Amino acid sequence: MNQAEQLRMMVYASLLAALTAAGAYIAIPIGPIPIVLQNLFIFLTGLLLGSKWGVASVAVYLLAGASGLPVFAGGTGGLGRLLGPTGGYLLGYLPAVYLIGFISEKMNHRRFYDALAVVCGTIIIYACGIAWLKTITGMTLTKTLAVGMYPFLPGDVLKIVAAVIIAKSLRPVIGQR
Amino acid sequence: MADLTAFSYHPGRSFLHLLDVRFKIIFLILISLTGMQADPPALCLLTFLFLCLIKSSRLSLISILKELRYFLVLLFFVLIARALSTPGTPVFEFKLLSISRQGLYDGILICWRLALVVLLGLIFVSTTRPSEIRTAVAWFLKPFPFIPGKKVATMIGLIMRFVPVILAQAKETSDAQRARGIENRKNPIYRLVKLAVPLIFKTFQNANNLAVAMEARCYSENRTDPDLSSKKNDWIAFFFVICLCILVVEI
Repeated sequence: MNQAEQLRMMVYASLLAALTAAGAYIAIPIGPIPIVLQNLFIFLTGLLLGSKWGVASVAVYLLAGASGLPVFAGGTGGLGRLLGPTGGYLLGYLPAVYLIGFISEKMNHRRFYDALAVVCGTIIIYACGIAWLKTITGMTLTKTLAVGMYPFLPGDVLKIVAAVIIAKSLRPVIGQR
Repeated sequence: MADLTAFSYHPGRSFLHLLDVRFKIIFLILISLTGMQADPPALCLLTFLFLCLIKSSRLSLISILKELRYFLVLLFFVLIARALSTPGTPVFEFKLLSISRQGLYDGILICWRLALVVLLGLIFVSTTRPSEIRTAVAWFLKPFPFIPGKKVATMIGLIMRFVPVILAQAKETSDAQRARGIENRKNPIYRLVKLAVPLIFKTFQNANNLAVAMEARCYSENRTDPDLSSKKNDWIAFFFVICLCILVVEI
């Protein structure tokens, strides 16, 4: 990878991290719970950038948030958010993006495997998020699932389908691959 | 950017504004970590200290509370969950629901700790320039051989620059689509795709222009960043924070 290419990937990685940050504020009002775009952009980070740059993008996003810049949902940043009740979901983005990028790259971006990769990523995000939410609130597992996962699943299915379609139509724009 | 950083940097010349950023980040981490284990007396002490700091840096308490409103809702939920799910002597009973004394105590304790840590983060952000935070992050990453600190700092800078652009673009795109009657479409996947594709496409074009512009201006990682210098005050504050942390753990 030459210098210009490196620079371009760096700008793209920052851009997707910024989309993730902005995604918390962009919602599509359908049904009772508006669909927030944040994890859609996390999926796209993995699918479009691949494992290496995807992880870099999410790591920088989390670092920016941890050092106090207001990039997390609700406009506040800082360690408190990572330690707070929803911190598990945020930390779960990191392994999730790696896995999504890895599977998608290995399988040559075929549509079915892209979908599979995103489903695996979602499972990881929820595993981390639920585990942490359960420790903080001290609820039973069934209760934690009822508040921390089930209400969001329908939205997630939509986002998974959308992410695969979007990734397919945007890959030519990004250029390589 | 209006939504995102309603609570951003407030210029000033108070004690907190003048502290070195690197020290402030260390303080933030130390107090956050010890604060998570503090007991009520120590929490009272911390709350009092934070209120003094807010006062001395001329921040408005009302706008801070406004900024924290979503987080407070979240905390309230944690409190309820704790109170309902911990077994113990009941304080209040209604059919199947029972709120136990231990649960209530635990819940309040945890919420208090989290609220203080987030409050501290807000105080930090509103007294520190984003560019200084960026430089300090690069400084902290310097000792790690595999992490390019300067590159990370540039990326953080880019994120902060892109976010308002993206929000403006998202508003423009969704307005344009509403004008064309997208609300008649009930298929949510269609709407997701039709919002996200133009949004990302346009922002990628912007990003491409930016990459070309950076290249044309001979971007390199050897840039001049804001100067970081530690003064006597920083070390005095450091000493006090260490004492405070020991005190908080001990109480």
